[in-house]
Amino acid sequence: MTDLDLEVRDGVDRETIETVHAMSGTYKYGWSTEIEMDYAPKGVSEDIVRLISSKNEEPEWMLEWRLTAYRRWVQMEEPHWAMLHYPKIDYQDQYYYAKPKSMAVKPKSLDEVDPKILATYKKLGIPLKEQLILAGVEGAETMGERKVAVDAVFDSVSVGTTFKAELAKAGVIFCSISEAIKEHPELVKKYIGSVVPQSDNFFATLNSAVFSDGSFVYIPPGTRCPMELSTYFRINAENTGQFERTLIIADKGSYVSYLEGCTAPKRDTNQLHAAVVELVILEDAEVKYSTVQNWYPGDENGLGGIYNFVTKRADCRGDRAKVMWTQVETGSAITWKYPSCILRGDDSQGEFYSIAIANNAQQADTGTKMVHLGKRTKSRIVSKGISAGRAQNTYRGLVSMHPKATDSRNYTQCDSLLIGDKCGAHTVPYIEVKNNSSRVEHEATTSKVDEDQLFYCRSRGMDEEEAVALVVNGFCKEVLQALPMEFAMEAQSLVAISLEGSVG
Amino acid sequence: MAVLQSKQDALQARIAALSFAPQGWLGAARSDALARLTAMGLPGKRDEYWRYTDPTGLNAVEAASVNLFDPGDEPAPFSGVDRLKIVFVDGVFDASQSDALALEGVKIERLSDAAEADIHWASGLYGVLETRGQSPVQRPFAALNSAFAGDGLLIRVTQTPSKPISLIYQHKAMTSDVILHHCIKVESGAEVTILENGAAAARLNHVMEIEVADGARFHHIRAQGRAHTRQAVTHLFARIGRNAAFKSFTLTANGRLTRNDAVLELLGADSVAHVAGAALGDGDFHHDDTVFITHAAERCESRQVFKKVLKNGAIGVFQGKILVKQGAQKTDGYQISQALMLDGDSQFLAKPELEIYADDVKCSHGSTSGAIDETALFYLRSRGVPLRQAQSLLVLAFLAEAISEIEDDVISEDIRQRLQSWLARHEH
Amino acid sequence: MLEINNLHVKLEEEDKIILRGVNLKIGAGEVHAIMGPNGSGKSTLSYVLSGRDGYEVTEGSAKLEGAELLEMEPEARAAAGLFLAFQYPVEIPGVGNMTFLRTAVNAQRKARGEAEISAGDFLKLVREKAKALQIDAEMLKRPVNVGFSGGEKKRNEILQMAMLEPKMCILDETDSGLDVDAMKLVAEGVNALRGAGRSFLVITHYQRLLDHIKPDFVHIMAAGRIIKTGGPELALEVENNGYADLLAEGV
Repeated sequence: MTDLDLEVRDGVDRETIETVHAMSGTYKYGWSTEIEMDYAPKGVSEDIVRLISSKNEEPEWMLEWRLTAYRRWVQMEEPHWAMLHYPKIDYQDQYYYAKPKSMAVKPKSLDEVDPKILATYKKLGIPLKEQLILAGVEGAETMGERKVAVDAVFDSVSVGTTFKAELAKAGVIFCSISEAIKEHPELVKKYIGSVVPQSDNFFATLNSAVFSDGSFVYIPPGTRCPMELSTYFRINAENTGQFERTLIIADKGSYVSYLEGCTAPKRDTNQLHAAVVELVILEDAEVKYSTVQNWYPGDENGLGGIYNFVTKRADCRGDRAKVMWTQVETGSAITWKYPSCILRGDDSQGEFYSIAIANNAQQADTGTKMVHLGKRTKSRIVSKGISAGRAQNTYRGLVSMHPKATDSRNYTQCDSLLIGDKCGAHTVPYIEVKNNSSRVEHEATTSKVDEDQLFYCRSRGMDEEEAVALVVNGFCKEVLQALPMEFAMEAQSLVAISLEGSVG
Repeated sequence: MAVLQSKQDALQARIAALSFAPQGWLGAARSDALARLTAMGLPGKRDEYWRYTDPTGLNAVEAASVNLFDPGDEPAPFSGVDRLKIVFVDGVFDASQSDALALEGVKIERLSDAAEADIHWASGLYGVLETRGQSPVQRPFAALNSAFAGDGLLIRVTQTPSKPISLIYQHKAMTSDVILHHCIKVESGAEVTILENGAAAARLNHVMEIEVADGARFHHIRAQGRAHTRQAVTHLFARIGRNAAFKSFTLTANGRLTRNDAVLELLGADSVAHVAGAALGDGDFHHDDTVFITHAAERCESRQVFKKVLKNGAIGVFQGKILVKQGAQKTDGYQISQALMLDGDSQFLAKPELEIYADDVKCSHGSTSGAIDETALFYLRSRGVPLRQAQSLLVLAFLAEAISEIEDDVISEDIRQRLQSWLARHEH
Repeated sequence: MLEINNLHVKLEEEDKIILRGVNLKIGAGEVHAIMGPNGSGKSTLSYVLSGRDGYEVTEGSAKLEGAELLEMEPEARAAAGLFLAFQYPVEIPGVGNMTFLRTAVNAQRKARGEAEISAGDFLKLVREKAKALQIDAEMLKRPVNVGFSGGEKKRNEILQMAMLEPKMCILDETDSGLDVDAMKLVAEGVNALRGAGRSFLVITHYQRLLDHIKPDFVHIMAAGRIIKTGGPELALEVENNGYADLLAEGV
């Protein structure tokens, strides 16, 4: 509690309050761009799968891979074990492919991209020019200048990737996955589906069949990626599902930090998003993967919003490989997402830091899996769930210590905060320990926003919403600190915005 | 959902040899239970609620034959406690070994004796709490029990009796397959302690339905039979009123398969529900504590304290849930499950859940597993305590939190002694 | 009392050599102090003597009254009269302080072929010794070291020492984390146990503890060896000039 007292007096967090004031309205990214689109017919079938493959000018093996997935998918049933309630999804009432007409011929550089699309990203605050971005909005003078390379995915296609040349000098490949399939087939062929197999689960299998684009990263041995990489996903078109696929390979002894952001316009209908992210981490390599998920959450009555079904998994294939997942989940009507770590290499490490906020009618069922296979593997889970309005927020996780994963460690801290008496907070951890030299510790708490803390803030002149935002940011501090600087600022203000209307 | 034909066939085979007595109010309750069971079918290995425990042995048509257990010179549990003794031999009440069923403030009847009555207080309890406990999770073995219970007691406590009621389950036939069903109603302001011990059978299906009325207190201490090869599935269903207390502690040492379910509902404000267990397993031992506590009223407190000491491939399971319903404000829910693994082959599988729909609550759960603390062991040894004694001291310290849930000092000392002698017998 | 000859020790799990030939002889009733910079091997010496896991003795011996310590289990060393006051006393939740003390006292008596102490006598003895160390009844009831302050933990160590009446006491950085008053209290406790042929080895980084527990001999340890031995004046030299000069000499 003293931590929070300090937090209140801390200068940094005053910015949160100012941001809350500055950003009026609720969902900031709810506008849409009028743009002419090229749609594939509604629904999914083998023909659609073939169409997507041919639009992407894919080789035969990729098409076969997709078709195998599709044939598997039609035999699968949508899973319903999560604590999520939503109307039956009609998979034939979605567009599986939507591409801006202006992209019919792929632009050679960002200069050729439709200005409307560029304006969209500009409005979202995403730098598509190869410029130095100032680290953090404030405090840039202390942080120095930094570069972030961006892959921008608009509906079904990647519109461009920045800093490619500079990255290429370091041997880093950063491009859209459609490009990688053509330019680096040996890498894609070797690794795609090796972490999340085609038939892994219903949504991942659907993705395997119909993914339209996404990002591809390869960091060569011993290379520290010279800048942060990021992908910004924007769903713009109506009734369109987005199915992106990301594949990151960190070769021996390499390092990369990867950021991912997502937004979508306000629409009355629900839209489907089913992504797959695969991380392959070899010996002594390290990947940090940070997500700020801010898809449109639907309105306060639960109308509209994105259905977000995501499979993210990291395979620490080599000894001493390290992965760190950090996620801030504030958007989407439905979130179904469990970024996982397979700790296969000896002495490999997995970390999962998560903030999940569910307000109004949002439902989130999210968590992680830590599968310890190698000796002396370590994992750490810090999950902070916040429920407000009528929302339901579930942490679901698995910690598994295999018999051979001797001398391993897991620590899990899983806290839930409730704001208001109509929402729910749930914790569903699975703990499976099959050797005695490993130590597993799991702690979970559920509580309401501390009235004393709120009162303390309000007695210093904050209104109730500001006070809640502040206290919640304090509650999430451990996770916010795990984010890269510029994301941390964005996340902090997002926390405040997503909780608007949760009190009073 | 319709039950698969194969599942239906398995169920029919399982119940074919069981006798069904449809007479009186009890017969009606049995028929309802059979209908529930038929709709559910027996649990399968792939059922989420049986994720960590294979029900095959419980589903089998016949109970596997077991060797009768010789406790050696260890005195029977609760020997030093002044109590009313009621003995069952292979699941059948034995008047010759039992005390007279007379205790001030308590009315005790055999299930079969009460079945023919037109009106009976137990008709509001028998199968009723079990039915409530079938949602949101199905418990087919409990329904099977309500339908086919072979014997049991109906105990109505109107005033606080002077001594505990002790149910002793003797096991004498190698293949006995026993279904016991007790109903206990603790009336407003009364307090009672129920003791249970013994293996009862090669395979035991045990249900106890307990109503704890406003201001009443119920204590339950159980020492399950030490036979290595016995199998047991037990259910405690309790409905707890206002300002009332329910406290249950189970010691399980040995047993090939034990599944203990506790389904407790806090329906009145300001009540407490505590359920605790100490399980000790060496070798072929599978022990599963599955607890579901529902907070449906304000200002209630619940505690789940489960400790398992495992060696030689023993498996410990804990599935615990706290459900706080909307409006159950000021709930204080606590849950801890811990395993001490004395060697490399043992397993601890846990699913500690919270499901919370009220905001002004304080709920927490903790779960740890690991080996004995080497630093503490060295500290003790550096003070001259020999290795084995130091280990035993640390194991008892590990179990202490669970044992401290027993309020009665004589009984808790009895349990402590049994733990100690188990440890002495199962030293490395 | 204690005779250490050419003791070489490495970490069991890595190839890190910590002690490189320690020689030390402590006579009955003598108080020796070992001082040295961090990482010199002082604490390792105390752990190896008391038998903690994780260290491998590659050469040398350590004898307590002629008996080889290094071959004994930790509890046998304790029964033989060795006592280590830990730098970081261990917390043992679930085990009451009284239970702990009584178990230890009786285990040692048993090992020596003596009768167990009666509950009444034990209680009387603990209360008497605890009082001198300002340990109240509440502290005796609580689990071993759980929730104790730094000073309480160290006083609890001295209480154990007083109850177990060892022949050879090793104090490992007993002054660390203590303020002046707490240190005085601990030192008084130790001084009360001096005499009757009982020997002490006081391991410390700073000289200040030696103002209160006056040593007969002071040894300076560096890089796993004792590089200089002298009287109490050596400790003052360290206090005034630091270790640098001595280390330079030692090389």
